Amino acid sequence: MSYNKLSKSLSFLLVLGLVFSACTDLEVDEVESVVTESETGEFSGDAGALLQTAYNQLGALTNQANTYSLLVHTSDEMIPPTRGTDWGDNGVWRLLHSHSWDPTHQYVLDSWNELNSRVFTTNQVLASTSPAPNPQQTAEAKFLRAFYMWHVMDLYGQVPFREVDEGVDVDPRVLTRAEAFDFIVKDLEEALPDLPVAGPSATNDQASQAAANALLSRLYLNRGVYTATVNEQGALAPTFDQADMAKVIEHADAVIADGYTLEENYYNNFSINAQSELILVNAEGAGNAENRYFMTLHYDHNPSGWNGFATLADFYAKFEDGDVRKGIAASPDGSDFSGIGRGFLVGQQFDDNGDPITNSRNNLPLAYEANSALIGADTDDGYRAIKYHPEDKGRYVQLRYGDVHLMKAEALLRNGQTGEALTMVNELRVVRGASPLASLDEASMLDERGRELYWEGIRRVDQIRFGTFTDTWAEKTVTDPFRIVYPIPQQAIDSNPNLVQNPGY
Amino acid sequence: MRIFTQLAYVMLVASAVLWSGAALAQEKTVSGTVTSDAEGALPGVNVLVKGTSSGTVTDLDGNYRLTLPEGNSTLVFSSIGYANQEVEVGDQTTIDIVMVEDVQALSEVVVIGYGTQEARDATGAVASVKAEDFNGGVIASPEQLIQGKAAGVQITQSSGEPGAGINIRIRGTSSVRSGNNPLFVVDGVPLAGDDVSGGGADTGFGTSSARNPLNFINPSDIASIDVLKDASATAIYGSRGANGVVIITTKTGKAGESKLNYSANVGVSNITKKYDLLNADEFVDAYAQVNGLSAGDAALQNLDQGADTDWQDQIFRTAISQNHNLSYSGGNDNGQYRLSLGYTDQEGIVERSSLRRLTARFNGSSSFINDRLKVTTQVTISDIRDSFAPISDNAGATGDLLGMALKLNPTYPVRNPDGTPFQRSVTEASPVAFLELGQDNANTVRALGNITFDFAITDDLSFKTILGGDRSASTRKAAYSGDLLVQGIEGQGRAAFDDVSAINTLMENYFTYNRDLSSNIRMEAVLGYSYQRFQRETNFVQAAGFRTTDIDVMLNNLAAVDLTTGNGAIAGNSTFRVDELQSFFGRVNFDISDKYLLTATLRADGSTRFGENNRYGIFPAFAGAWRLSDEAFVPDGLTDLKLRAGYGVTGNQEIPSNLFTDRQRYQDESLDVSPTGVNINNGALSNVAFPNPDLQWESTTQINVGVDWGILNNRLRGSVDYYRKNTNDLLFQVFSAQPAPQEFFWENLDADVINEGVEVTLNANIADSEAFAWDVSANAAYNDNRVENFEGLINTGDIDGQGLSGAFAQRIADGQPLFAYFLRPFGGFDDAGQSIYPQGDVQQFVGRAPLPRWNLGLTNNFYAGNFDLSVFFAGQLGQYVYNNTQNAFFTAGALAGGNNVTQDVVGNGESRGNAPEVSTRFLEDASFVRLQNFTLGYNFNTDGIEFLSSLRLYLTGQNLFVITNYSGQDPEVNINKAIDDIPSFGIDYTAFPQARTFLLGLNVSF
Repeated sequence: MSYNKLSKSLSFLLVLGLVFSACTDLEVDEVESVVTESETGEFSGDAGALLQTAYNQLGALTNQANTYSLLVHTSDEMIPPTRGTDWGDNGVWRLLHSHSWDPTHQYVLDSWNELNSRVFTTNQVLASTSPAPNPQQTAEAKFLRAFYMWHVMDLYGQVPFREVDEGVDVDPRVLTRAEAFDFIVKDLEEALPDLPVAGPSATNDQASQAAANALLSRLYLNRGVYTATVNEQGALAPTFDQADMAKVIEHADAVIADGYTLEENYYNNFSINAQSELILVNAEGAGNAENRYFMTLHYDHNPSGWNGFATLADFYAKFEDGDVRKGIAASPDGSDFSGIGRGFLVGQQFDDNGDPITNSRNNLPLAYEANSALIGADTDDGYRAIKYHPEDKGRYVQLRYGDVHLMKAEALLRNGQTGEALTMVNELRVVRGASPLASLDEASMLDERGRELYWEGIRRVDQIRFGTFTDTWAEKTVTDPFRIVYPIPQQAIDSNPNLVQNPGY
Repeated sequence: MRIFTQLAYVMLVASAVLWSGAALAQEKTVSGTVTSDAEGALPGVNVLVKGTSSGTVTDLDGNYRLTLPEGNSTLVFSSIGYANQEVEVGDQTTIDIVMVEDVQALSEVVVIGYGTQEARDATGAVASVKAEDFNGGVIASPEQLIQGKAAGVQITQSSGEPGAGINIRIRGTSSVRSGNNPLFVVDGVPLAGDDVSGGGADTGFGTSSARNPLNFINPSDIASIDVLKDASATAIYGSRGANGVVIITTKTGKAGESKLNYSANVGVSNITKKYDLLNADEFVDAYAQVNGLSAGDAALQNLDQGADTDWQDQIFRTAISQNHNLSYSGGNDNGQYRLSLGYTDQEGIVERSSLRRLTARFNGSSSFINDRLKVTTQVTISDIRDSFAPISDNAGATGDLLGMALKLNPTYPVRNPDGTPFQRSVTEASPVAFLELGQDNANTVRALGNITFDFAITDDLSFKTILGGDRSASTRKAAYSGDLLVQGIEGQGRAAFDDVSAINTLMENYFTYNRDLSSNIRMEAVLGYSYQRFQRETNFVQAAGFRTTDIDVMLNNLAAVDLTTGNGAIAGNSTFRVDELQSFFGRVNFDISDKYLLTATLRADGSTRFGENNRYGIFPAFAGAWRLSDEAFVPDGLTDLKLRAGYGVTGNQEIPSNLFTDRQRYQDESLDVSPTGVNINNGALSNVAFPNPDLQWESTTQINVGVDWGILNNRLRGSVDYYRKNTNDLLFQVFSAQPAPQEFFWENLDADVINEGVEVTLNANIADSEAFAWDVSANAAYNDNRVENFEGLINTGDIDGQGLSGAFAQRIADGQPLFAYFLRPFGGFDDAGQSIYPQGDVQQFVGRAPLPRWNLGLTNNFYAGNFDLSVFFAGQLGQYVYNNTQNAFFTAGALAGGNNVTQDVVGNGESRGNAPEVSTRFLEDASFVRLQNFTLGYNFNTDGIEFLSSLRLYLTGQNLFVITNYSGQDPEVNINKAIDDIPSFGIDYTAFPQARTFLLGLNVSF
């Protein structure tokens, strides 16, 4: 029996050994991702790589939905018609145009997430330690933070802020619109000295002093809007402080000093041939400007588009003949995409060989009509706009001199220097092939901005500043004054108790 | 199965005999032969001296010889499938026994985690389906074998595609994300939950469905499938047990029985129901009518291209399937083996879709060291070749193959005069061109194997080590030629390459201790350790802008991409994940007086999926059963009556790997493809996860109360179970409070998902004579599902199609069932043909859900002479399906735009300008009853043929008819319409259609 006992004990020990030798500490090496937590739990990112990310994330703004849709469909320059079954999209577009969005609107939510997460990326650049950002990288990150945060402040009127080391359980603090304004200006002013000086280029995809100055001009021009309290009645008409307007002019002059001038050929701004206006464009691989023509071109063009957005007849009526911004007819020569004009596409459309296009949806000649209903529209309703052209589309433009030029003119106008303002406006009009204006007032200033900058994403900001955002226009009858800011998305309110819903929603 | 368990008993008893030590008392010897009327000599029958552990088993010829202590002893003869017999020895020295078959196999064995149990001793809710009860027909993967056969187990194929993904819901749906499938355990090796085939990459028209992870197992190798349903049964699998556990046991050789078996079948499948589309003339008339055109209008001349094409006929086919299996097995008391080869070639009823599989399996076992050590090996190798039709889950305006076939103008010809497919424009893509100008194939090789050492340390104590491995490698290649007129492919050509490789290794060690503590208390205990490691690697490459339109070159010569800037591009990404699971587990069963049964289970699981603060979870369970029929006060008419009750906590850890460390990765690159060029969207370095050290498993608390009963000597028997499952600490993607590195992060949400229900099974042996026998088995399960204490609102159920971007149909909210429909109530059309929404143009809960209330199964088996007939009905009641297909394709607006529609759209009162928003207009009652399987078999009398042991021919019809009000192709459908990884349920969108199959089969044994 003792032999048996021995063998049993041995087996038992063997078995126990097997059991315990097998134990693991459950630590698995990360080999497919970079752990950005230091030993002590602090954030330890790579500033250079993350800065690339922050630039890359500008790509989101090329999408026709989300942030871009909040910027353009709610203004009087664009309508997103539901064409039969097309573009119904659960009403998401119509709610924007008719000013009837609410806190559950998909793009109100998506834009919030999109913009704020980009702010966070720039925070990560600034907090990186391996390696830490150099002074220029810090400046670029601050510029980008200001750029993204400006969108948040402008659209939503409140700006949440999370430090890099604050985990999921921390509710981000919230900056008021006025606090956010100061935060953004401070970022830009701190960034300025360390940013590189860069003159105009078709590939200006890095923050420069001109970019910071252009953005500062925009901020000071709208300061009256951003510091006014918004309640259910909207806000008091913005005031335009002399000192703020002087700042607009000062920063615009700084842009000019870096060599930016009006482009001889307007459409070159949106092409690979751009020369003198482009201050900031998206990097290669960061989004694609092609969405801007796909979103409007009819299915039967070459290239086949998505037959979506159109301009409003009243907006088109603001252009005079001869103004190149109104449009240049196509010159079809058989080469790819030569059938497509530039500017507004109106009436019968032709293919690359100059033959009339047949609309495959109604089997009739494809001719764009001026008016478009918001729902029940036909496939050829509404004039289309082509700034980026399939033949030679350039990088997606974020900031360009044409805007700066008009901002300076507006600041002069608002500071009573009407003559100088008129000179600047006419300088631009002549280059664009339009007749000089005899006089300049707020209304004609807004119209000129519309003609110069249509579909570039700034119309809503302009209309709010000029007080016309709560007017009515085609298929838009709602005049709720509180809609000058969007609601905080319901899911954001649910996830951060520091956020308070904007008045009226 | 029977033999497998007998062998285990043989081992146990043999070792008991060998190690019981020498008996010194006076002895006498008894011998005899055990037989049965049906089988003659019975090997492997246990012969035990009552009240002791000494005994023996019968040899191959049914003979036994046993030495008894002097005095009056009683021998107990037992064998699975036969009634026990007790004989007082008295003065006898020869005792021959004729065993009587226990027709109602109440003493059948169920496989539970880390062991087996007799069903009569079970305390938990376990459904066991044996090979003879499996579904027949064209069966691509194992779970189809038990579809409808086990109460409370809902099995939904996502479509009719060969090898399509599956949804198995045991006792309802309890998680609000993917990972609702049960844990699969094959011969003791738990499988990883992931799909091991190359995923459906987006080549421009949406992503395709996941594949079935069980495709690699040849269904004909399976001996039994056991489904552990309640927590007391699944707690032994701890953090993976919450969705139930499906244990697959493969066939083994039998001692003393050399067998060569060949089975084959050939099946013919056709689509059950096509959509009732307009023909060319009807289409032109309807188009004129909806657009207010008069005959001869120029628009009509342009529309009508003169042909009359049924595009559905162009893509559907009569599919032929064949299946061959060859196996041989044998062995003796010391070792058994079984080797099988299988070949399956299953065509899908959509052109170009097929699944071909070669499998080889070896199961063997051998005993050493005086039978104290038993070594068992099970190995499967499979080679699966899939060919896919271009059908996706979420095609947009262009549609996928099915969408194209449904909507394309029927006046278009199929081909141009030169034989190439007729393609008019990118918005009117031709399904025929889509089939011919593309290819999409996958090849998956998978090997699953294990070796088990079972060592009897003493009579009572044994130790088992299992080493298991599961290795798979899959490659999927898809290419679409630039000749194809489809947006995103046109002029450029597009290809995608996916590689997935997975390695899952297992080491388990456990002790089993069986002992009679006293004359009436028996204890069985299991105590063990388990370590499992899951490694998964993927590589993904997509390309666009090819210098060739030759598909073969595109697939096999990637450098054909034009890499000049803007003209073409190659983009991709790769991943590598490792997860580990380390567990300690134990279980104790007490059997007191054969009447009171108690089970306690505990498992501690440590998982790398969770944050450092919560690495380990503890999962306890308790259960008891009371065999009332053994009590004196219960009338004898009740053959069997057992009450069961159980309680337990189980977990779920099916979330992506490492979601708790702050880490960053370069995101997938994507391609913008248009005729104007190809551009790469650079993948930026982005956060993958937040620091989240508290992340832990989801836990499910379940109570189960059941009763098993049998009367008339168990000719009528059944069971009833009530359960209530409460899942909380839901693993959930919640919205991050911005600014944040990610839109979502994973959290354990403090909300409850409750599944409550009743399961009833009934088995009746209505007639049982030589000439005629009739068995009926029925099961029904009722489940009620709801979400409680949930503060958020989550949208899911993505609805796709032209003009439906961003639309959704389901919302998860407090007080609602999971995936409750959130729609506009539809009130018909107004005079102008616009939709009326009486309760406003806003989405709201409409009191409908996609989860069935009732799951039903009814099987009738008839035996008459050499004939047998099996008829199986399955049904689901109370569920609603959202018909996204109809929403996207069958509206007046679609017709007005020149797309074909179903007959009912014509004159439905809808205006051409009406936008068909997501509403109850497209929600349909999808209750159904289906004649799932009908098999008529004939067993030839082989008595006179010495070399032949059995020969069977059978004819099977699958899915012969469906009774339903659902207007779509088939009511049993579930396309993946997840939004932000929150799954959906019950949405139909151009699903691969279901087939009706007739199959002729042969089974011969030598």
